[in-house]
Amino acid sequence: MKTLIIEMIEPKRLGELVTVSREFCEQPDMVAVGAGQIPGSFGKAYQVADTVAANLVSDLASLILKEGYEIVLLTASTLGSGIAAPLSVKLSAPVVSEVIGIKPDLVVERPLYGGKAVATYKLNKMPAILTIRRKYFEAADLQGFTDSSPLSIAEKKVALIAEKEEKTEGIPLEDAEVIVSGGRGIGAAENFTMLQDVADLLNGAVGASRGAVDEGWVQPTQQVGQTGKIVAPGVYFAIGISGASQHLAGIANAKCVVAINKDEEANIFKRARFGIVSDYKKIVPVLIETLKEEA
Amino acid sequence: MGRTPYWNIDLGILIDLFALPMIVIFFYGMYGHWKRIRQGKVRVNLDLSKSAGKIGPVYLYSLLTKGILGTKIYKKIYTGVAHGGLFWGMVVLLLGTILVFLNVLFGLPVFSGGFNHWFMAFALDFAGLAVFGGILFFLVRRLLFPPERLTEPKSRTGFSPIVLLLGVVILTGFVVEGGRIACNGIDNGSFMGNYLSMMFGKGDEWLTLHRYMWWIHGFLALGFLAYIPYSPLVHLLLVPVNAALADPMPGTKMGLIDFSSFEDEESEEMPVLGAAKLADFSRKRLLDYSTCLWCGRCHEVCPAAQTGKPLSPKGVIITLAECLQDGRVEDDSLIDSLTSEALFCCTTCAACMEACPALINQPKTIMKFRQNLVMERSEIPELMGKANSSLELRGHPFFGTGAGPNDWCKDLDVPLFEEGKTEYLLWIGCSVTYEERAQQIAGSMVKILSHAGTSFGILEEFRCTGDPAKQMGNEFQFAELAQQNIEDFSDLGIKKIITMCPHCYNSFTRHYPKLGGNYQVIPHSVFLKSLLKAGRLSLNRETNTICYHDPCYLGRRNAIYDEPRDVVNSMGKLVEMPRNRNESFCCGGGGGNYWAEEVGTRINQVRAEEALGTGADFIATSCPFCLLMLTDGAKKFTEDQKIFDIAELVALQLEER
Amino acid sequence: MHIVVLAKVVPDYEVPAGDFELTNSRAHSRYKRMMGLYDENAIESGVQLKEKYSASLTIVSYGIKADIQVLRKAVAMGGEKLSLVLGGSDDPNVIAANLKMAVEKLEDVDLILAGQQSADMDRGIVHGMLAEMLGFAFIPQVAKIEQEDGQWKVIQNTESGSSELKFGGKAVLSITSVPENVPRIPVVRSIFAAKKKPVVQLPEIEGDAMPVDELSVDIPKMESVCEFLPTEDDPAETAKILLGRLREERLI
Repeated sequence: MKTLIIEMIEPKRLGELVTVSREFCEQPDMVAVGAGQIPGSFGKAYQVADTVAANLVSDLASLILKEGYEIVLLTASTLGSGIAAPLSVKLSAPVVSEVIGIKPDLVVERPLYGGKAVATYKLNKMPAILTIRRKYFEAADLQGFTDSSPLSIAEKKVALIAEKEEKTEGIPLEDAEVIVSGGRGIGAAENFTMLQDVADLLNGAVGASRGAVDEGWVQPTQQVGQTGKIVAPGVYFAIGISGASQHLAGIANAKCVVAINKDEEANIFKRARFGIVSDYKKIVPVLIETLKEEA
Repeated sequence: MGRTPYWNIDLGILIDLFALPMIVIFFYGMYGHWKRIRQGKVRVNLDLSKSAGKIGPVYLYSLLTKGILGTKIYKKIYTGVAHGGLFWGMVVLLLGTILVFLNVLFGLPVFSGGFNHWFMAFALDFAGLAVFGGILFFLVRRLLFPPERLTEPKSRTGFSPIVLLLGVVILTGFVVEGGRIACNGIDNGSFMGNYLSMMFGKGDEWLTLHRYMWWIHGFLALGFLAYIPYSPLVHLLLVPVNAALADPMPGTKMGLIDFSSFEDEESEEMPVLGAAKLADFSRKRLLDYSTCLWCGRCHEVCPAAQTGKPLSPKGVIITLAECLQDGRVEDDSLIDSLTSEALFCCTTCAACMEACPALINQPKTIMKFRQNLVMERSEIPELMGKANSSLELRGHPFFGTGAGPNDWCKDLDVPLFEEGKTEYLLWIGCSVTYEERAQQIAGSMVKILSHAGTSFGILEEFRCTGDPAKQMGNEFQFAELAQQNIEDFSDLGIKKIITMCPHCYNSFTRHYPKLGGNYQVIPHSVFLKSLLKAGRLSLNRETNTICYHDPCYLGRRNAIYDEPRDVVNSMGKLVEMPRNRNESFCCGGGGGNYWAEEVGTRINQVRAEEALGTGADFIATSCPFCLLMLTDGAKKFTEDQKIFDIAELVALQLEER
Repeated sequence: MHIVVLAKVVPDYEVPAGDFELTNSRAHSRYKRMMGLYDENAIESGVQLKEKYSASLTIVSYGIKADIQVLRKAVAMGGEKLSLVLGGSDDPNVIAANLKMAVEKLEDVDLILAGQQSADMDRGIVHGMLAEMLGFAFIPQVAKIEQEDGQWKVIQNTESGSSELKFGGKAVLSITSVPENVPRIPVVRSIFAAKKKPVVQLPEIEGDAMPVDELSVDIPKMESVCEFLPTEDDPAETAKILLGRLREERLI
């Protein structure tokens, strides 16, 4: 099936889409949004400088019709969600957002009810538009670069005035896919740097239980729990956290909780998917080492 | 030989004439207070209980004990004695002065015989000494060693001048007496006067000095009297009035708000909800503010003020007092100057009003402001707002809870309440349903009641009593929830309710009757005690020491102190924390502050530390919120689980058998 | 200026996973119905705009008649009227077409705000489709809106930070949750006033369903049993096993 990827030039996001595209074709085509060289090898590549979704929809629709693309892939990101829905109307095409699984015969899965249920859909018409939820597909290794031809924009509806980059340490807890949280069991403020290292290596954020915040080891903005942030990461490392219900309430939607605690009776193990009964000071440094080796 | 009035004084009657303008000034000052207080709303409590010892709006017993005897002031023994000396001394001196007047006017024979000896001479001298001692105590403390409660957030000026003036009056009085005795000979009983006369010796200069001093003493004494209404000493008149009018029921009660005028389309004037300015308060509240002495006893016991939070009950009341004094009754920037951050720090524990010697109802004032912030201005801290929304949407405030409504009883066999068959409704309440740690209380209670053969049942579905909404200031939300509950209860014919949460108990007993819901409500601690008494439950008194924490809503607000202690005592040895019973320190969770991002020191840690400091084996309480807050607070100090509800401890003993 | 906020009534989005069950592939009907959190953020943003620019504010929804009671809260927060299209479809195309009809009946709409996704289907596409149907620009993930020189200036949250965008025409903005748009608790007089505000109930129009079949909806099995990793031997081994297991489950 003729597949088109529309994405920013960002290797991880692009890599995940390439992985998904292999379910549909050998080699997808690509519209790169923004400036820069396009990593990976694509059949055809177009490039558009304008990064505002609203300005791209019309011309993308024309391109898709002209080239006869059957599958259009985007990430479930600000750009992807800005393009997908209007594009579907323009093309009278079906759109499925936040896809987390692809099965044969154009069957896709997506979560409902805050992840408490998963729905399976069959796409009945081409072209079909899919936005892919991040972190559900392993990013393909992108070899080499592909030359692109420019895609022109006919009408600029919305002007971009400024862009602000936030530092990586500022990944909002609510958005983080990996959260490394510490509690009173961490023992001291300086030990949180260890958690920060794990978080950095996994592109995650550091959280804390109320105990650690109370001790003044971390900022209140980092508190996870009923009286802090309600988070829904893929992996939640609970290190030295006993697992008070107020804390558990904040991580009810975490997919996988990894608990590291000395006390095997700790409540957190009831909520955990993986448990390590040990002093975190023995485990976390080697975890950092292992991650560094693999990187 | 008797004393001759106006001895050595010419035209002494002039002093009586001078008294007239002074009395006018005095009453003008008092009228000023009335004029300010009058600006409040007239609020007539329709369901005034016709209790014994109550005449019109006056609670005689309170007037006599708290108002006149000033019983509360002796909680601080030194201040109490000093104050007692000053006050009762002045009462005796005033009586003596009146008797002198009666002697002058009607020839009442007070200057003769034993009465002259024991009262006019000895008692008046002794009273003068007591007053002088009190004055010295207050001056030294206020000027040299002021405790924090007097200075935070600020001290009242105006005490020292009038107290000094009074000191001079007393001293000149003694000098006059000494002069008189020096010239006329020893007056048996007047030990001060006799002593001074011996220092003076005899001489004409003493006659002159006596004359001048007599006039100075007279003018100053009358000046002092006239000055009282314009000085902090006016409390000696206002406190008894405030005490007479204060509802003696423990704890603060927020009356109902009639929302019907909002429903009525024709209604021109909509009532202000809560209070934003002085004019929104009742006259009783304005009397509170006028009465306040700024003594700071409330500040000293306030869990918020003592843990570095922006609220001080004294600060609130004195801000209002100053505002009232300045005549800014319509100034609605008042609520902003108090700041909503501070107002929402109140845990409604009522320790302030318990400590207040002037019978001021601080929590009610704070709650009125909260009501205005929430119901008129949508201003509420974010987490409390979330709890409020959850109450509205789900009927419980525990947003984000990981528990379903039936999780607490999934491993238990709990009967449902059946109309006509079941005697007691076991009311579970929201914290017990939705907080994992608190769920154990219900499990224990079910075990105990089954063991004791009590006829009880639970509701299939329930909602919160509305207490958190009410304490956060959302009276409207409370009324909605309460009305729905009352309907449900009458459908099922519920008459007797056992509560596990004092907040539910307080709602059912204090607020539901006004909405038409009348039930016999029994807190679980009281019920456990009655099971023990009836022999349907027997416990072994073990060697464990158990410390009991009084929940504010059971203790201070409902005066239930003994029953839980009796239950504790039948399981182990009861130990007390330094602050216990009506002086108990809040766990920090009341007034919606369970859902607060606390600033400063955490109240629950302060209290948990105090409890752990007793070295008791267990710390018992009888409120799920206290249980949750203290359990959390104790984590800072120990890894052991030491804090239990009394029902859990009872159930534990049953299981061990 | 006329601002429309889209709101949808959904089953309680905070039902804990352990208590969640389905009937006919949808959340069980026993759950309380309420507006989604993002919708409330959108309403709050709309009310703030209304207050700042003296705009008028209409709440538009698609749902069942019983939803009116829930949507009154949106009106109490600051809406002036409520327009509800009566229908029970879950199809994004059908919903968008009906919302378009409702918006067009209002005529002079300048700006449409919507929560970034409804709290039931979590799709986040209906508002984008509506924008295209109306010929409006669509901007997702908006955190802040203001007017400047007769144009709208918005801050859009992106994965790496934020973008400041400006546009002159009409638009649909999907609103994300930020501290500035924490939904207010309606004041009491507004709650009473909301009971008297006009409610327009519109019959549903037929729309073309999206050519997608829903095959099934399932509740993923929650592994509640904790798998304890061996710790006796080498901590490095434990770390490797852990990372391996997390990769297996595609979590990192």
